[in-house]
Amino acid sequence: MSSTSVPGAAKNIAASVGLGKRRYRTNTIVKVLCVAATALALVFLASILFTLLIRGFAGLSLTVFTTSTLPPGSHGGLLNAIIGSLIQTTIGTLVGTPIGLMVGTYLSEYALGSKLGDAVRFVSDVLLSAPSILIGLFVYAVAVAPFGGFTGIAGCIALAVIVIPIVVRTTEDMLRLIPVALREAAMALGAPKWKMIVLVCYPAAKQGIVTGVLLAVARVAGETAPLLFTSLGNLNWSTNLTKPMASLPVTIYQYAGSAFEDWVQLAWVGALLITFGVLAINIIARFVLRDGK
Amino acid sequence: MSDEPEHLVKSYETELKRLRSMMTEMGGIVESQVALAAQAILNRDTEAATKAVEMDPKVDAMERDIEQFVVRLLALRQPMAADLRFIIASMKMTGDLERIGDYAANVAKRSVVLSQFHLPFSLAGIAHMIQLVQEQLKSIIDAVGAGDIDKAVEVWRSDQVVDDIYNAIFRELITYMMEDPRNITPCTHLLFIAKNLERVGDHTTNIAETVYYAVRGEVLPETRPKGDTSAYAVVRPSE
Amino acid sequence: MSTTTSDAVTGPATHGSVQVRASSAIGEPRIEIRDLDFYYGAHKALKKINLIFPEKQVTGMIGPSGCGKSTLLRVLNRMYDLYPGQRAEGQVLMDGQNIIDPKVDLNALRARVGMVFQKPTPFPMSIYDNIAFGVKLHEKLSKAAMDERVEWSLTRAALWTEVKDRLSTSAMGMSGGQQQRLCIARTIAVRPEVILLDEPTSALDPISTLKVEELVDELKNDFTIAIVTHNMQQAARVADQVAFFYLGEMVEVGPAEQIFTAPKEKRTEEYVTGRFG
Repeated sequence: MSSTSVPGAAKNIAASVGLGKRRYRTNTIVKVLCVAATALALVFLASILFTLLIRGFAGLSLTVFTTSTLPPGSHGGLLNAIIGSLIQTTIGTLVGTPIGLMVGTYLSEYALGSKLGDAVRFVSDVLLSAPSILIGLFVYAVAVAPFGGFTGIAGCIALAVIVIPIVVRTTEDMLRLIPVALREAAMALGAPKWKMIVLVCYPAAKQGIVTGVLLAVARVAGETAPLLFTSLGNLNWSTNLTKPMASLPVTIYQYAGSAFEDWVQLAWVGALLITFGVLAINIIARFVLRDGK
Repeated sequence: MSDEPEHLVKSYETELKRLRSMMTEMGGIVESQVALAAQAILNRDTEAATKAVEMDPKVDAMERDIEQFVVRLLALRQPMAADLRFIIASMKMTGDLERIGDYAANVAKRSVVLSQFHLPFSLAGIAHMIQLVQEQLKSIIDAVGAGDIDKAVEVWRSDQVVDDIYNAIFRELITYMMEDPRNITPCTHLLFIAKNLERVGDHTTNIAETVYYAVRGEVLPETRPKGDTSAYAVVRPSE
Repeated sequence: MSTTTSDAVTGPATHGSVQVRASSAIGEPRIEIRDLDFYYGAHKALKKINLIFPEKQVTGMIGPSGCGKSTLLRVLNRMYDLYPGQRAEGQVLMDGQNIIDPKVDLNALRARVGMVFQKPTPFPMSIYDNIAFGVKLHEKLSKAAMDERVEWSLTRAALWTEVKDRLSTSAMGMSGGQQQRLCIARTIAVRPEVILLDEPTSALDPISTLKVEELVDELKNDFTIAIVTHNMQQAARVADQVAFFYLGEMVEVGPAEQIFTAPKEKRTEEYVTGRFG
C-alpha cells in the first residue's frame, strides 16, 4: 500500500502483512479498553439495582399500597405518597406539555432567524439544565410565599416548569427533522401554514414528541428538590391541591435519613417503585417509537 | 468540429473519433477503387480492373463494420444533437460509399470487355467525367473527415457539370452507334460506364447533403435540379 | 417587487407577442413569463427570463445544477414566498394576472398550480387522507363526492388498481414509485390547471420512472405541465417544448426535437452532447 503503487500489488503483500499485524494489535488494545470501561460502568449500575431490588423487595407488601404513611412502628404504607406523586406528575405534565409544544412549534416554525426565537431557545436551554432546586425556589417565591403556605398546586407548577423546556426541546428538534419537501408539499397544495403544521408536521413528528413527553414524565416523577419548597410533603392522606401534598421522592428523602428501621425500609420500597415506574415509562416510550416504524 | 470541447466521457470521444476515421478510411478505399477503375478504362489496364473488382468485398465488410459500430453507439451512448446527427449521417454515408464502390467495380468489369474492341473515337469525354468525379469524391471525403460544409456545398453544386458531360456523352455515343453498328457493343458498355460514373456523382452529392445536415442540423436549403436529361434525349438520324 | 399591470399592457406587450412566435407555435400560452429576474438575497439567480408555457403541453427544463431551472419552477407557484430574502421581479402572467404580485392569494394560486417534488412526499396518514388533504383545503365535498374524487385522481395517476383495496392503510408503506404517483394523484385531486414537476423521477428506479413518464404523457391531455429534469433522455421523451438554462439565463427554447437534434445555440449543443466544461 506504499505511496503510489496499486494496493494489493504482489511486491507489497509482505509489507501489508506486517501492517496487518500491527493494526490487529492496536485494534485489540482499543477493544479491551472499551470493554473494560463498559464493564466498570455496568458494575456501578448493577450494584445500585441489586441493592435496590434486595432492600426494596424485602419491604414490599400490599400494605404499602393500601395504607398511608404512619408514625414509626405502626406498619404504615406509601399510599398518600404514591397518589400525591401521580396527581402532581399528571397535572404538571398536562400543564407543561401544551405550553412546551406550542413554544417548540413557535421556535421551529415561526421563529426562523428571529432574535426573539434565539432568545427563547437560549432561555429554554438554560432552564433545561438549571438545577431543579432553583426551580423549586422560584416557584416558592411566586406561588408559595405570597399565598402563605405550601400547596399541591405549587408542586404541580414546579413540575410543569421542569416539563416545559424538555418538551420545547424535543418538539423543536422533532419538527426540525421533518423534511423541507414535506412542508413544501403541504404548502404547494395550497394549505395555510397552521394547517400544514397541525395536519402534516405534528403527525409526522408524533413519535418523537410523545417520546419527549414520556421522558419528561419520567424526569419529573423522580424530582425531589422542587417539591420540597412547594408541596412540602404530607404525612396524612390528602388529595386537596390547596394543602401540602405528599410525593414519593419527598417521602423517600424524609424517611431514608430517619432513625426508624421501618421508615428506612419504606424509603427503599418507594425508591423501587419510582425506578420501576420510570422503567415502565421508558419501555412505553420505546414501544411508541417502534410502532410507528 | 475540432474547436468543440471534448466529451466529458473520454471513451465516447474516442469512439466518435474512431467512427470518423472509419468513415475516412472507407472513403479512401472507395476512392482508390474508383481510381483503379479509371485506370482500367483509360489505359486498357485489365490488372487494375481486377484489383478494383477484388476490392469490393473489403468495402462491403467496411460498411457492415460501420453499421455495427453505429448501432452500438446508438444503444450505449444515446447520442444527442451534433453527435446524433454525425452518427446517423455516417450510417447513410457508408451506404452511399458502398454504392460508389459497386459502380466502380462495375465500371472496372466493363473496361475488361471494352479493352477487346477497337474504338474509332476518343474517350476524352469519359476521361473528363472520370476526372471530375474523382475530384469530387476526394473533396467530399476530406469534407467528411473535417466536417467542412463549405467544401460539401462546393461538391454539391459542381455535380451539375458531371450531369452536363453525361448528357453530352449520351448523345455522342448514340451518334457513334448510328454511324456504324459495329460500335454498338462497346458504346453500350460505355453508356453504362458513363451512367455509373454519373451515379457516383449523385451519391457524392448525397454525401455532401448528409455532411451539411450533420454539421448544420438543417437540410440544404435549395433542391438541386436533377441533371440527367438523357431520358428526354432524342438524336435524329437525319442529322 | 413587480411591475404594474398597466406596464403589462403597454411596454413589454409587443415584446411578449414577438416571443410567442419566437418560442413556439405549439399551443395557446397558459403561463407567460416576461423579463423575470429572481434574487436569493443579493444573488441574482434568474436573469431576464422570457418563456411561454403552452396550454396542455409539456415544457421540459434542462440545464446543469444551479442553472436556475428549479428556481423558475418555484416562482410559478410562489414557493419562494416561504423563505425571506427571496424575491422575483418582472411578470409571470396567468390569465392576464401577474402571479408574482404580492397581492395574489397564494393558497388559491397553489390550488391552480400544483407541484410534485424530487423525493416522494407522502403525508403520514392513510392513502385516502393523503388525497383528501388537498381537496378539503379548497372544497367542501360530501363523503360520496370525496370518494369519487379520490378514485378519479388515483385512476388518473395509474394507481387505483394497485391501492383500491388498501386506501385506509398508511401511505408510508407504499413503494417509492407508488408514493410518487400518490403525490401526483394528490396534486391532480385539487384539479389544478398547471402541474410543476421538480425532478419527479430522480429518486425512482427505472421502471417506476417509466411509469411516471407514461403518466406525464397521459396527463398533458388535461393539464399544462412544466418538468425540471436532469435526465436529458427523459426531457426528450416527455417534453413537447424544451428550455435550456445556464447560469441563470435561458439560453434556448424550442421544440424538444429541435433542441436534441439540432440546437441553435453552441452552449445548448455542448450541454446536450455531454461536452460541458
